[in-house]
Amino acid sequence: MNGVPINYYLYLAAVLFSMGMFGVLVRRNALVVFMSIELMLNAANLTFLAYARQRASDIGHVSAFFVIAVAAAEAAIGLAIVIAVFRNRGTLNIEEIRTLKH
Amino acid sequence: MDSFRQFLMTSPAPLQSLAPSLWLIIGFPLLGALICGVFGKWLGRANTGLIACCAVGASLLLSILAYWAVNDPTTVTGSQHAFENFRYAFGHDYGTWFQVGSFQVRFGLWVDHLNGPMLLVITGVGLLIHIYSTSYMSHDAGYWRYFAYLNLFVAMMLVLVLADNLVLLFVGWEGVGFCSYLLIGFWYTDPAKAWAGRKAFITNRIGDFAFLIAAFLLVLLSDAYSRQATEANAPGGRIDRHRLGVVVTTGPLNFKAIDSMARGLGTTQGNGPKMSLDTVIQEGPLKGRAVQGVVTAILLLFLLGAAGKSAQLPLYVWLPDAMAGPTPVSALIHAATMVTAGVYLFCRMASLLVLSPPAMATVAIIGALTALIAALIAFAQDDIKKVLAYSTVSQLGFMFMGVGMGVFWAAMFHLVTHAFFKACLFLGAGSVMHGNAEETDIKKLGGVRKEMPWTWLTFAIATVAITGVLPLSGFFSKDAILHGVHGTHLHGLEWVTNFVWIIGLVTAFCTAFYMWRLYILTFEGKRSAEAKIPHAHESSAAMVVPLVVLATLSVFALIWGLHLMTSPSTGKSQAIFENFLAPIFANTDRIIQGTGNLVRHDSPLMTAYVVAILIAWAGAALAAVLYFRFFPAWRAAGKPAPAFASMARGFAVAKFKVDELYELVIINPIKWSAKLLYRVVDSLLIDTLVVRGVAWVTYQTGAALRYFQTGDAQGYAAVMVVALLAGVAYAVWGLGR
Repeated sequence: MNGVPINYYLYLAAVLFSMGMFGVLVRRNALVVFMSIELMLNAANLTFLAYARQRASDIGHVSAFFVIAVAAAEAAIGLAIVIAVFRNRGTLNIEEIRTLKH
Repeated sequence: MDSFRQFLMTSPAPLQSLAPSLWLIIGFPLLGALICGVFGKWLGRANTGLIACCAVGASLLLSILAYWAVNDPTTVTGSQHAFENFRYAFGHDYGTWFQVGSFQVRFGLWVDHLNGPMLLVITGVGLLIHIYSTSYMSHDAGYWRYFAYLNLFVAMMLVLVLADNLVLLFVGWEGVGFCSYLLIGFWYTDPAKAWAGRKAFITNRIGDFAFLIAAFLLVLLSDAYSRQATEANAPGGRIDRHRLGVVVTTGPLNFKAIDSMARGLGTTQGNGPKMSLDTVIQEGPLKGRAVQGVVTAILLLFLLGAAGKSAQLPLYVWLPDAMAGPTPVSALIHAATMVTAGVYLFCRMASLLVLSPPAMATVAIIGALTALIAALIAFAQDDIKKVLAYSTVSQLGFMFMGVGMGVFWAAMFHLVTHAFFKACLFLGAGSVMHGNAEETDIKKLGGVRKEMPWTWLTFAIATVAITGVLPLSGFFSKDAILHGVHGTHLHGLEWVTNFVWIIGLVTAFCTAFYMWRLYILTFEGKRSAEAKIPHAHESSAAMVVPLVVLATLSVFALIWGLHLMTSPSTGKSQAIFENFLAPIFANTDRIIQGTGNLVRHDSPLMTAYVVAILIAWAGAALAAVLYFRFFPAWRAAGKPAPAFASMARGFAVAKFKVDELYELVIINPIKWSAKLLYRVVDSLLIDTLVVRGVAWVTYQTGAALRYFQTGDAQGYAAVMVVALLAGVAYAVWGLGR
């Protein structure tokens, strides 16, 4: 195994994941929450690929492609929802959107 | 004469075609009930009535054919549909109904000399009452419902009578009870009438319960019999394989099997099967009990069942209330057919009954007491139908007297004649009500004679018949019972004879009195000032013709009571009906001779006749004197009666407070315990603790958890993250250790 050790990849992925999670939990703007989710997904991708490289296995790559496809689908639907919510309510502030209660 | 006799004793059709068609006798009224019930509203009144009458008419025709065929000794004995050891009987087995292990019930119908007359009474009187009803119910909104119920009743009654085993009989037994309930509560919008229906149903249920227990015991007894009456138990003795075979092949509840078993048990000496009344049962739930006791218990339970259906002493209270139904129903169900089912049941199982003198004595005493008490209550009833209802209870008591003392043919004879004249009386009462704006109080009638000549004539004939005045059928049948009772002694219970006989005579006197009171107050004298309408009108032909036919029958049924035949066994003269029923009770007579349970001795017939005539006339004369001279209805108040008389009358009017006694002793405790159960078990345990408790816990849990549902997506996400971190922490540090 040459080049960068796997630890660094994992540290990076963990940092990225934590940043994403922080964004999801704290930010109020729905768009930013979305971007944070993308960040978390990519952190997961990075983990997959790091291990795939270390183990010289293709399954990690396959999983990464799956995650990319899911992320794309999620972004398409999610953005559509965001637009619909914005048209309905005129805001993207998550604290004001509490319809899950009912 | 001989050629006529030959004609009557030649089967009109071969048994091969007749016997398998027996089900049609039941099928026609059943089909009629279906058509009337489902399509009656569209068919209209006349069509519904026509279909109902035709259904019963077709059944009557077939019954006549069956009755005719069963009199033919040659075809009956030679056919595969005949039964060995049973002369003058044929039937058809439609296969196994159900089978559990060795216990089986077959679906079989049969006709013999016992249920032949019953068939004719049910379909014949039934047809007349159907015709009568087309006029009587012509203005009723529920006429199609009425005819559906009535047809269903006839079908069920025919099931009861045609059945060749107890289980099928029970189907009919329950069916007629159900139809009786429907018809008593026919005008169900009146709560009192609906209640009367329920009362009849519940009272019958008590009897039916006893009936079932008795049938179960009979199965156990039969099981023990087929196990113990074997060669191993009869060293040196001969087993009647045929008798055992009947029990096994036809199932234990078949009447032939019961008869065979009774015959086997009743043979004490000789080399018969070694299981007699003293044998102790060795296996099964009845282990350790003597056969004698088991038989007595079975019979007493059957007595309770019959008492429910036939309105005998502890359970007669439903019949007077059953008069809430339409009058033709009272005539058909509560006078002529259904209520006689108990008498029929005991005659059917006569061979079992004579095995137990205590049970016979109980039946006779219950019958006698019922006859007397009902007659006494009938003294003071002012409702024309109530008097007839108590009269029915009383006459049924007579039949039970006859059954209990082993005079089965007389009981059956009285059953038939009673069906004629009591149906005539009820229909006459209905006609009177119809012509007098539904007035039922005899004190407010009076003088109907001139305005309703046909009703008067037929009612008078039927009254003479039930009173037991000489040339009419009631005289012969009632006297046959009294004479038979007088000439029979039960082994070990000799006092019963005189007890029952004297009560019977007193009751005969009472019968004459209350019937003539009813007749005089309704038909004679002047019209009461309180009458609803000033002039009565005669009923239509559809109502009068059945009355005339029934009155004619109640006269001509006397032919059966004439002593014109000679007994083939004893050589003495005997009544035609006795001779006719002799093949049915041949086995019974053999058991009586074998066990000595019953001693019959001759008493002069003429003396009995004279006594009966004197009593009937005395009762009638007393009624005439009292109600013509002292308390005529047409005088407003009459003379004030002495204090004790009015007290006694008040007590009789209140029906001896039997209903109140039952209320106090049985109904109220049940009500209270039911209330207690309702409060504690239902209300508290089930409703409050279980049902509402579950709901309460769920609700409270939800209420507590509600605070966690904020609708804040980020809050939810935070919870998920915390849980995830906890999981990770556990995976990293928790598992390692």
